[in-house]
Amino acid sequence: MDQLVQQLINALSLGGIYAMLALGLAIVFSIVRLINFAHGEIMTFGGYGIFLSMVFGFPPVAALCIGLGAAVVMALAMERAAFRVMRGADVISLLITSFAVSEILKVLFQNGISARPVPISFPSAWSSSYQIGGMTIGVAPTASIFVTILSLGCLTFVLRRLAIGMAMRAAAEDFDMLRMLGVRANRVVAAAFAISGLLAGVAAVIWTAQRGSVDPMMGFFPVLKAFIATVLGGLGSLGGAVLGGFVVGTLEVLTQAFLPDSLTPYRDAIVLSAVIAVLLVRPDGLLPARSGTRS
Amino acid sequence: MATAALHAHPARLRAANWLRTLAALAVLAGTVAFLMLLFGRTGERIALLMCVNVAAVVALAAFCGNTGIVSFGNGAFMALGAYLSGILTMPAALQRSALPDLPLWLAGHELALWGALPFVLLAGLAFALLTGSAISRLVGPSAAIATLGLLIIVHSIGVSAREFTRGSQTFYGVPRITELVYVLVAAMIFILIARLYRESRWGLFVRAVRDDEDAATALGISPRRARLVAWTLSGTLATVAGALYGHILGAFSPASFYLGLVFAHVVMMIVGGMSSVGGAVVGVVAVTLLQNAVRNLEGGITLGGISLPEVFGLTTVALGIAILLVIWLRPQGLVGGFELAPGADARLLERISGTARDAPAPRPVSTETLQARDLSKAFAGVQAVAGASFDVPAGRITGLIGPNGAGKSTLVNLITCQYTADAGSAEIGGTRLTGLARHRIIENRVARSFQNLRLFSGLTAFENVLVAALAAGYRRDQANAIALRELEAFDLADIAAMRAENLPYGARKRLEIARALAQDPAILLLDEPAAGMNPSETSDLADRLIRIREDRNIGILLIDHDLRFVNRLCSHIVVMNRGQKIAEGSPEEVRANTAVVEAYIGRGRAARAADTDPAQQKAIAT
Repeated sequence: MDQLVQQLINALSLGGIYAMLALGLAIVFSIVRLINFAHGEIMTFGGYGIFLSMVFGFPPVAALCIGLGAAVVMALAMERAAFRVMRGADVISLLITSFAVSEILKVLFQNGISARPVPISFPSAWSSSYQIGGMTIGVAPTASIFVTILSLGCLTFVLRRLAIGMAMRAAAEDFDMLRMLGVRANRVVAAAFAISGLLAGVAAVIWTAQRGSVDPMMGFFPVLKAFIATVLGGLGSLGGAVLGGFVVGTLEVLTQAFLPDSLTPYRDAIVLSAVIAVLLVRPDGLLPARSGTRS
Repeated sequence: MATAALHAHPARLRAANWLRTLAALAVLAGTVAFLMLLFGRTGERIALLMCVNVAAVVALAAFCGNTGIVSFGNGAFMALGAYLSGILTMPAALQRSALPDLPLWLAGHELALWGALPFVLLAGLAFALLTGSAISRLVGPSAAIATLGLLIIVHSIGVSAREFTRGSQTFYGVPRITELVYVLVAAMIFILIARLYRESRWGLFVRAVRDDEDAATALGISPRRARLVAWTLSGTLATVAGALYGHILGAFSPASFYLGLVFAHVVMMIVGGMSSVGGAVVGVVAVTLLQNAVRNLEGGITLGGISLPEVFGLTTVALGIAILLVIWLRPQGLVGGFELAPGADARLLERISGTARDAPAPRPVSTETLQARDLSKAFAGVQAVAGASFDVPAGRITGLIGPNGAGKSTLVNLITCQYTADAGSAEIGGTRLTGLARHRIIENRVARSFQNLRLFSGLTAFENVLVAALAAGYRRDQANAIALRELEAFDLADIAAMRAENLPYGARKRLEIARALAQDPAILLLDEPAAGMNPSETSDLADRLIRIREDRNIGILLIDHDLRFVNRLCSHIVVMNRGQKIAEGSPEEVRANTAVVEAYIGRGRAARAADTDPAQQKAIAT
């Protein structure tokens, strides 16, 4: 029982990170049809934002806010510099563009900061744990679950209640029509990137708080998982992305916890094979995005 | 263009295709010669790697270029090939120290490179079939990400399976290939295979699927099978290319086949132009030259008194910038969407004259009748079609008319299983169509055209029709002759070598009908063939359809809004409104039917028209 609850918390915590990353990918994809390979670098940049502001002596909480801001700035800069000129290009061109941006940024991080992990020392209270009913539960995973729920809640509010959110949902259905109605395209796209950057920033904060270091590849690997999560959920479907993120996170934690030792190195392979097996049955994902085509 | 020129088209196309293959080979051979003459031993080393990259990228493009799906899975196959070939060819003594835990059935074979090749080939084939059965179900970005998943899976297995791969440590002791000539010949064979595949039956099928999956399916091509063939060929080739790469490196680790290599290969493919084999070769050449130029700068140099610092990863940045520039400035790649070298309409090939044989006579059509019985379909509460029943017999042009939204196109989609019917069925000659897979409809000799044009934009007019004839099961020479027959029947001879996307509107409309007829159908469903045509084009089309019906006795279901066109062609008309059949009969009967007049112009005006103005009534009716 004890172990089960702990694993559940780990699963929710890791799944939450994947869900936020996947949601950021899905928001951008649904509007501009971009599969953003450079999403991981947005997260990494957020991590470096935290690292640098700690180096310059900011208190930890302020550093986390700066990290969030850094991720948003990075996302907006990326949109402005690389993707705006490509508006309307086909999916492959966009994908390759983001692939190139990702590779270039990684090299810049390696040369500009360090190719090795740089440590971030948060207050020790953050990595401590507490007891409930005889169970030991970490502070960081708990906090990360709350932050995830809060972020997803805020995002739901923005998308359902605010004008810009509704414009974004409309853009996901039919971007051209929205523009004809007089909604400013650049603003909607920028808002989508800002939200995806913010979500990546939150993921960066949780990730660094749990791992205590930043390296140039920090964002890349979780985002690879998030890609898989978006496809599992149904590419372009926001609800699907969140679901996919939690499913991938849960599978990963479960295989970590319950797989025999001889098989644990194959964890990634097993999780991904399971995902692909699901796609065999449901090629459009668990919660497919709606689409209307006429012959 | 005269008939003679049209009949020469297949021969000229064949010649043009060989020229294109030669052009790709010549680019490779020329670059190798250039590198060796200019840089000697260093050049040879660069050429060696370049040739392996050509092999790998040509393998990658065999899938990506023909399916339009970017794959990251190449690295997975290359790793498989490199490790397998490495294990099989490694000296036994070395293997005992490097891989002490290797299972006995794999250990100590010490094969020659040639001896290992069949096993590598078979392993690649098996692995490609296994993974392809899953990946061929997916399209577009989902497929791309699934291939990325495959890469991650294979990489993590490579790192974990220590007894086979030494984990993330260096895998050493692989016999090395240093002879350039072997690798050059291998790369040339790869180019040849990829070119042959691209122009073959299955290459045309998969390119048709790439350009329009629905239309290709309606022609009887199974998109999944077409993609599976492309994936299997690409994967098998990539496995062999990986083995070659391994033997050139001599020592490698799973990271050698991971994202870095995959990124480089995707860049090469995109820079050159993904949709052609020549593009892949040019891309590898261009990127190789760029990489080597930049690599010299990477260690830091002094330029005009300013010393540039050592920058780790400068080649990656250069690759990234190269690809960004190419995508911004030339989205189709350096070579563009075409193969290198001209097409079949080139001046160069004009002297090749026609030897095309006669087309096989169309299979006779006698009494086949398409029967729609109580077909119904609702979309989220909107009853698009409600219990429609009618017959389309052979030898008759049956009209299907009705106001917009009457359910006409939905009906065609129900008959061809594009949509699943809620109730009812369509049958022909006792065979039930409803419930069949979409690509099996044509087996029952029911072909269709689409309301919105659905041509294969990347194929020429000739290839559009050819692919239909091939999909109907004809041999290549028969299919060639059939394609010529249909192009001639629809006055498309002049533009046989033009790509469908460059054709004028009227020609595209005719091409779609020609494509459907090339499948030798008994029943042809035409969804607004005259929409958007001017009156003389419409009248010309009517003449051609009448001739087709007289010559081949096929049955046509004709949907159109141009009532004059419908009245001229059809001896029997079915009228639909709001999903229901409201009238059926000869044009005169339908014309006299008050329900029909009401559906078209409303109750009040119809009544008044009938009362007062015979001239207006006549205008409505024609």
